Amino acid sequence: MSELPQRQTDIGPPHYSKFLPPVIAKNYGKWLYHEVMSAGVMVHVAESGDKVFTVRIASPRLLSTDTIREYCAIAEKHCGGNLRFTTRHNVEFMVDAESKVDPLVKELKAKDFMIGGIGPRISNIVHTQGWIHCHSAATDASGLVKAIMDDVHEYFTDKELQNKVRIAVACCVNMCGAVHCSDIALVGVHKTPPRIDDMNVKNACEVPSTIASCPTSAISPDPAKKSVKIKLDKCMYCGNCYSVCPAMPISDAKNDGIAIVVGGKVSNLRSNPTFSKLVVPWIPNNPPRWPEVTDAIKKILDAYKAGAKKHERVGEWIDRIGWEGFFRATGFEFKIQHIDDFTFARETFRMAATFKWT
Amino acid sequence: MEKEELKKIIYELVEASTGKKKLKQTDILKKVSADQGVEKDEVKAALRELVDANTLIFTYFGGSFIEIPPK
Amino acid sequence: MSKKYDTPLLDELEKGAFPSFVKEIKLAAKHSDMANDLLGHTELCFKERVTHWKHGGIVGVRGYGGGVIGRYSDIPDKFPGVAHFHTVRVNSPSGFYYSAAALRDFCDLWDKYGSGLTNVHGSTGDLVFLGTKTEFLEPFFAEVSSRGWDLGGSGSAMRTPSGCLGMSRCEWANIDAMAITNDITHHYQDEMHRPAFPYKFKFKVAGCPVDCIASIARADMSVIGTWKGDIRINQDEVAKYAKTMDIKAEIIDMCPTGCMQFDGKAMKIDNSNCNRCMHCIAKMTKALRPGTEKGATLLLGSKAPIVTGALMSWVIVPFIKMEPPYDEFYDLIDKIWEWWDENGKNRERIGELIERLSFPRFLKEVGLDPHPAMIKEPRRDPFFFWSEEDIER
Repeated sequence: MSELPQRQTDIGPPHYSKFLPPVIAKNYGKWLYHEVMSAGVMVHVAESGDKVFTVRIASPRLLSTDTIREYCAIAEKHCGGNLRFTTRHNVEFMVDAESKVDPLVKELKAKDFMIGGIGPRISNIVHTQGWIHCHSAATDASGLVKAIMDDVHEYFTDKELQNKVRIAVACCVNMCGAVHCSDIALVGVHKTPPRIDDMNVKNACEVPSTIASCPTSAISPDPAKKSVKIKLDKCMYCGNCYSVCPAMPISDAKNDGIAIVVGGKVSNLRSNPTFSKLVVPWIPNNPPRWPEVTDAIKKILDAYKAGAKKHERVGEWIDRIGWEGFFRATGFEFKIQHIDDFTFARETFRMAATFKWT
Repeated sequence: MEKEELKKIIYELVEASTGKKKLKQTDILKKVSADQGVEKDEVKAALRELVDANTLIFTYFGGSFIEIPPK
Repeated sequence: MSKKYDTPLLDELEKGAFPSFVKEIKLAAKHSDMANDLLGHTELCFKERVTHWKHGGIVGVRGYGGGVIGRYSDIPDKFPGVAHFHTVRVNSPSGFYYSAAALRDFCDLWDKYGSGLTNVHGSTGDLVFLGTKTEFLEPFFAEVSSRGWDLGGSGSAMRTPSGCLGMSRCEWANIDAMAITNDITHHYQDEMHRPAFPYKFKFKVAGCPVDCIASIARADMSVIGTWKGDIRINQDEVAKYAKTMDIKAEIIDMCPTGCMQFDGKAMKIDNSNCNRCMHCIAKMTKALRPGTEKGATLLLGSKAPIVTGALMSWVIVPFIKMEPPYDEFYDLIDKIWEWWDENGKNRERIGELIERLSFPRFLKEVGLDPHPAMIKEPRRDPFFFWSEEDIER
């Protein structure tokens, strides 16, 4: 290998000002208003009268260097060499004149990039690594996202809903994507307890920290084996012990699956930020297209579209019609798993005689 | 206290703990600072030299720890 | 010559309208054996419906305790290209703006030292370089750092802070989210690179209560821009909106505090009753603007459900000016971290620690005064503590 340059430590990232398009740098902090022009184009107008037009495209998040180079070529040809990414893995190309929008859009379309994701629509799905890279994944993430977005892509490129519908996928309950405040979120779940490999627990794990990792105190020492035991009726399959002790694998191809939670949001718009709540406790993993999952999402979207008022997010709509109304509207079966028996359970019981018949 | 001496104490603490209890950086700072009556920052500086030299390393097993690198 | 894998399941996901991650792996596989083996490895995971990755643990770059996620295949003999498949997290610049030149440079380096596959970005906001071997970690780090970039956080450390694009392109930003994100990142380099906390700690900075960065759901410290004073109204623009929008139904009736009035001509807002939810401002971008006394609300404690349930951040400082050099902010952070270091257990997030020891105790010990903005409602039980000075002896 050729001579390497001198490494540096603790220098942090480069200053963002190096990467700002000139129109952004010039009008920093002096923007007046913005308007959504179409599903994939918006304009921001500055106090100076300057305008920046943003064209947004979807990315699959998992990107090859080849595709990144393509983005770069487009940015150089149309945007003076700058581009940005959104928190939802979209790419944004910015130009400083309306006349530059059409040629940019034409080229993006010609290269088959998907333009959209702005306004009251479904933007890209935030998600985790899944089977591409994660050791604790109970399902895949990229595959689910692809299957869902193929199904609903018209809500990205064109069709409007009452408000944004934010979808997220976490491949296990660690939720490194923190999906728990989304309009619709999928989370990979286990249904069976971890299996203890006593020999490896002895060699690879610290017994006290493994015991401490269990939120329900289901794990206790097994001194004879220098290992641990699990009280099976206490285990709720979170997999936290597996994170601490690799000798307690929990993945189970036949019983791992997907739970769907809905009605969360992070914005303070109108109503407070809200957690998503369980609506489907388990759907089997059925790759490559998870048809049961995409069907369930379609049911939620159809019911929302039919029932919500303009500007209501999924959670605000459910708040108005009640969860009993949601189960009626979607036809989802209400099961014992829907009733909370964990940390915040009591707050979720109906302490009133007012409810709607289903 | 001489830095080299502090480094020796830290290393011996990690060595004695190996296979029993994984130590976090904060465990080492608290223990050595209390035992030796030196400031935590001083212990931290000594520990940093050990880590920069690869004599000790950070590991991750459901939390970050300081350990002796595997052979 | 790399092995050719049959991938009937993944091939299914090359079809369809949305951009395909399978296409990306296949593009990289043309020039990387690692990416090629990832294709076969992933197909097997799809076929068996189970992951084939193992824990990482001890790989990294010298001197750092984070920035690299170790990953190994549990079937390395079948897929030697992904026997090691470590991830490198590179700290993104605030706002996720790039130059094509900088990104191309990364592409060249990653084709040389890694699989050619990336995530732009990972969930926390790092540039994620996905898949390399242990022996390439140091060379890649040397190349990247010599070009002015550094690694992000992982493990029990401060994680790569992130923020919305703030004032760079948004008229609602009440604080300079990009500058603050960048400043926090540089201020706490040691806390990011040498894990010293009980568990992870995330900062996210949102310019306004719309919170596009989801700080309230996924940051231990959520900095959310806000304002004091009156919403600025442009009555001419209100009149124009009245022609295209049902202001009563869409704005007045949807205001959560009922603090707005519109008589068909002029809009009035009872600002003392406004809770700054942003609905009216977001729907009437030309007519309404936030007030001019700007700062932030600090909220603490959010996290995903592992392990005793998900938390959202809650208010600990109702209003703080967020202007350089941010002394008041950093003093508070240092106190919070010290308290967490004293009291926290391994894998205990700050929000969980406060739940375990109590919010009043946290406030007392870090020196914050109680304020009604911190709660939704006062307690309902009569079981509260008093201090010695409250007692008559």
